[in-house]
Amino acid sequence: MATKTQTTLSKDALDMAADTQKPRQLKYVWDFQDRIFRGVMRSAGSSVLVIMALVGLFLTLRATEALGTVGFSFFTTQAWEPDSGNFGIAAVIAGTVIIAIIAIVVAVPFSLGTALYISEYAPRRIKRALITMVDLMAAIPSVVFGLWGFFFLQNEVTPVAKWLSQNFGWIPFLSVQGSDPSDPLTSNTVFTSSSLIAGIVVGLMITPIVTSVMREVFSQAPIGEREAALGLGSTRWGMVKNVVLSFGKGGIIGATMLGLGRALGETIAVYMIISPVFVVQPRILENGANSVSSLIALRYGEATQMGMSALMAAGLALFIMTLIVNFAASSIVARSRSGASS
Amino acid sequence: MTTQNIIEEQKRQLHGIRIRDLLTTLTAAASAIAATGFLFSIAPLSGVLSFVLIAYILFIVFFALITAIDDDREGVKDRVASVIIRSAAVIIFSALVFIVVFTISRGFEALPYLNFFTEDMSLAGPLDPLSSGGILHSIMGSLIQIAIALAITIPLGLITAVFLNEIPGKYSRFVRTMVEAMTALPSIVAGLFIYATAILLLGVQKSGFAAALAISVMMLPIMIRASDVVLRIVPGTLKEASLGLGAGAWRTAWMVTLPTARSGLTTAIILATARGIGETSPVLLTSGFTASMNLNPTEGPMVSLPLAIFQFVKSPEPTMIARGFGTAAVLMFLVLILFMLARILGSDKNVFGNLAKNIKKLTKKKVAK
Amino acid sequence: MRLNLKTRLLSLLIIPVIVFGFSSSPAQAADYVPVNGAGSSWSANAIDQWRRNVVQYGMRVNYASTGSSDGRNQFKAGTVDFASSEIPYGLKDGSVVDVLPSRAFAYIPLVAGGTALMYNLKIGGKRFTNLKMSGETLTKVFTGVITSWDDAAIAEENPGISLPKRKIVPVVRSDGSGSTAQFTSWMADEHTKIWDDYCKLAGRSTPCGLTSNYPVVSGKGYVSQPGSQGVSGYVSQNANEGTITYVEYSYALKTGFPVVKLLNKSDHYVLPTASNVAVALLEAKIDTRPGNSYLTQILTGVYSSKDPRSYPLSSYSYLIVPTAVSGSFTASKGATLGDFAYYYLCEGQQQAEVLGYSPLPINLVKAGLEQVKKIPGVSAKNKDVAKCNNPTFSSDGTNLLAKNAPMPPAADKKGYTGTDPGAGGVVDPGTDPGTDPGTDPGTDPGTDPGTDPGTDPGNGGNSGGGGYVDNGGIVDNGIVGPGFCDNDTGICQAVSAEAINPPDQNGKTFAQIQIIFLLVLFLGLLLAVPLISVLRRGHKL
Repeated sequence: MATKTQTTLSKDALDMAADTQKPRQLKYVWDFQDRIFRGVMRSAGSSVLVIMALVGLFLTLRATEALGTVGFSFFTTQAWEPDSGNFGIAAVIAGTVIIAIIAIVVAVPFSLGTALYISEYAPRRIKRALITMVDLMAAIPSVVFGLWGFFFLQNEVTPVAKWLSQNFGWIPFLSVQGSDPSDPLTSNTVFTSSSLIAGIVVGLMITPIVTSVMREVFSQAPIGEREAALGLGSTRWGMVKNVVLSFGKGGIIGATMLGLGRALGETIAVYMIISPVFVVQPRILENGANSVSSLIALRYGEATQMGMSALMAAGLALFIMTLIVNFAASSIVARSRSGASS
Repeated sequence: MTTQNIIEEQKRQLHGIRIRDLLTTLTAAASAIAATGFLFSIAPLSGVLSFVLIAYILFIVFFALITAIDDDREGVKDRVASVIIRSAAVIIFSALVFIVVFTISRGFEALPYLNFFTEDMSLAGPLDPLSSGGILHSIMGSLIQIAIALAITIPLGLITAVFLNEIPGKYSRFVRTMVEAMTALPSIVAGLFIYATAILLLGVQKSGFAAALAISVMMLPIMIRASDVVLRIVPGTLKEASLGLGAGAWRTAWMVTLPTARSGLTTAIILATARGIGETSPVLLTSGFTASMNLNPTEGPMVSLPLAIFQFVKSPEPTMIARGFGTAAVLMFLVLILFMLARILGSDKNVFGNLAKNIKKLTKKKVAK
Repeated sequence: MRLNLKTRLLSLLIIPVIVFGFSSSPAQAADYVPVNGAGSSWSANAIDQWRRNVVQYGMRVNYASTGSSDGRNQFKAGTVDFASSEIPYGLKDGSVVDVLPSRAFAYIPLVAGGTALMYNLKIGGKRFTNLKMSGETLTKVFTGVITSWDDAAIAEENPGISLPKRKIVPVVRSDGSGSTAQFTSWMADEHTKIWDDYCKLAGRSTPCGLTSNYPVVSGKGYVSQPGSQGVSGYVSQNANEGTITYVEYSYALKTGFPVVKLLNKSDHYVLPTASNVAVALLEAKIDTRPGNSYLTQILTGVYSSKDPRSYPLSSYSYLIVPTAVSGSFTASKGATLGDFAYYYLCEGQQQAEVLGYSPLPINLVKAGLEQVKKIPGVSAKNKDVAKCNNPTFSSDGTNLLAKNAPMPPAADKKGYTGTDPGAGGVVDPGTDPGTDPGTDPGTDPGTDPGTDPGTDPGNGGNSGGGGYVDNGGIVDNGIVGPGFCDNDTGICQAVSAEAINPPDQNGKTFAQIQIIFLLVLFLGLLLAVPLISVLRRGHKL
């Protein structure tokens, strides 16, 4: 035996040697305190998961009753009469999207300008104050925006809408039915409660959030590149355009979509302003608009079983839409250079 | 060449306001206003808004022209872009400030009355003057509802955020995705969910508790996400050091992670609270309506501030509308206080912190003496 | 420790919240438990007033004015203790039947009133208050057949008035409404063909019948608003000229806006005053069969009442109460509800006229008092109706209010071509300058601030502040036709019904500003450019 082990390594020996080179399997042994801690954490996480899943499941389950009754015409019908089986979200979703688009068109240019101002042009002393102010504006309750929109903006925008429809009425979505431009007695009521007014209010509402996200993204633009651009003799705007904006492209899109998500779900400001109609109404200057959330707020009380189910289906559709927008935003942001902000 | 003929190299000024720019701006503005006034006298235009719009466009044009006199194309683009960006910021800030000022000024009618803050609306009708009736019931309602909502969301939200950071893995990634998905839940759908489950199915009354539930459903994902972000920023080295010294997971979390993130967590909580207080739609569906004070969250309708605003302004009576605006002013004031609290409590260096430190220093000196 | 200050601040926040959060509601005098109700906005003004009146007894009644459909629905779901509605359960709306609730319930008559047609119209810059319409014209207005105020049909019924060529904007309810149900029920009964044609246009199946959700055809310019407050608030806005809506009379009274004088079957144009409504409701048939429709009303007789004083669109509203303990409705809640019902059926009806409603007649009050005994937990009282001071009660059982109702003036008879404007359209035209805070700056800078300080801060608004208020066509100083009287001087002038000229917004002051700015322009262009060049040359800027 002695000669064997001294001259050659047996197979067993080789195996043993190999064993010692494998990384050691670490075993976590938590003591009692930590076991409870981890248990509590896991249960909190699970209960949150359960709550979230419950919401989604419940919505879906309740919505199936309505969806089962009307099938695919749920997406094409414009009227909303759940009790007689004639209902669909074509009109309300279209209205929601129209208001959200107007809001984005209003919010994004101004937010971009404000964010650029705060991060690039503002004097250092007031920068901190401006950032705080923007965050504070983001906390203003939406009902205040609704109040302002109804009591102030509506009266100011109505004559502007009238002028727009008279001079630009040849553009299809700016025309207004029921308003005769040559008639001096034409009523102003046809310009009240329109998608435009609601869109402007919602746009102002989402501007602070979009601004602060964009600003955070811009402030992360690499200083090296900025100084390089300035060093090469570019003007401030040139530096901003070529460094900051191209760095923040993903962030801009992400912030826009975040604002879009908020705009789609806005309820009370829209409810206070619009006069609901149940047809697709692309003429933004004209009286009559709708959105899913204001539909739910209007009809939840008088809804029968079927009506409730229909409202759940509409809410689910809105939720899915917002979900898609949010996920698209986060994936675009994650892929861009400005990705790691949140 | 004599020295007089050499024009001095001028240092390009990048910050601050150049006198040349100030003059250019003023000139362009004056010219634009005058030109617009001229246009308005010859063309059939009218209205303040169109005046402002046309004046602004002309202002940009004139500004570009004047700058083009002695700057090259890049310089003109730079100046014009700077003006446009600044004006965008000015417009947004003034619009948002105007909204706040408008609300407060319309509400100012109702605010000077002490009864506005000490009475409820059970005895005051739409035709009663502002000296009767108040919003005490909605202030209390808001506070009670948000307190219950916080009692539900803070423990659940914080522990979940800690969970997401302490136990990484497929499961926690899944939970995180679900939370991200739930932040997209519109607030009205949260209210509808509670209405359909708690109120219709389980028979919970339309009460402050149901409203608090709806607010929690809405606030929970926001709270979790904000806390998650804050906790992620805690440097891993701190945690590893603690673990290396023999502390368990619980002690590390309690003594290292949470204290480090304390200011951020406080900010997150308070910002979520400000959001929760201001939401009308979940409350609209679940809390019912009452004109009297109800301090019992489990029985009977309970009004909160946003709902009271919504109800007041539905009436065409000017006193009711004034009350509505007054309530809006109170709500904004509440949000402002919460915000300032978030800033104070959330920052490590602050006036109060320094003040406390200085006081301690002084007292220590005294004791030492 | 730095923590101290923060902890202190935090605890300041938490303590009052905890203290208030866990305290229960204060004990009521006489130990009444609060009851919650929801429903009709038509009856809301009355219920609100009564609810405030019973606070002194310690009763707390919460009422959410969310619309009749919502109220009936919530009662079915058990989320409220009582509901108020203009129409009973069991009616067919379109193709849907409003099923009865599974809990035991009963109807108690609430209050009577007229559905008024409130409108906002100006002639010659002054508010017009003497509009007369027949039922057919009214139906055609609300179904889009008549679209302009100067239509021949309207002009025929208002001779001598030069109505403006302004578009009519009907304002309808966007939520499920009992007012809509009453109005459409009348239209369906009396003017079936016109109503059915409109329903067909809106995509509903005919025959249409009554509905709680007014059908809106896109493009016709209808405006829909939620709640009676929403529609009346919309019409009462100064800028919304040409609007007309259907709403309970008390809302029109509150906003001070005129209502249409409706033609009844004896060719008189009448207003929905308490006495006219009481006269009309003498023809209402009350269902006296015991069962689920006990005490509900059939109004076909009311629509066609031949009394010259009757207002066709009169109706009662109901209080829907549970007659068994179920869900969250307990016997102690029943005690509160019962006492509240006793109050409003008896003492409360005295205020009906002032509020803009009409008090219930004695047969309904007596029947209602009997119904109250069915509420579980109620402390049964035998109320002596003689002590109720109800204006309709008389010793011989006839409706005193209806008996003593004044006949409509001859000027309000159809075909009257004289110049007497007849009964005023606004109850108290002299002191209410309008409640519009004056968002419309108006054209008249208003040299006369008016005698009634009112609530109007606008100093140029057409609805107030200028001291001129429409007096509803009351003739004075020998002026014929609709006129207005200056509150200060008492001099009355006839309304001149001319077409309104569009306001000239470039006033004198604007021209002055223009001249100044032209000067600034010249100076600016003149001085600025050389100034800049001089400053730039060689100097550090």
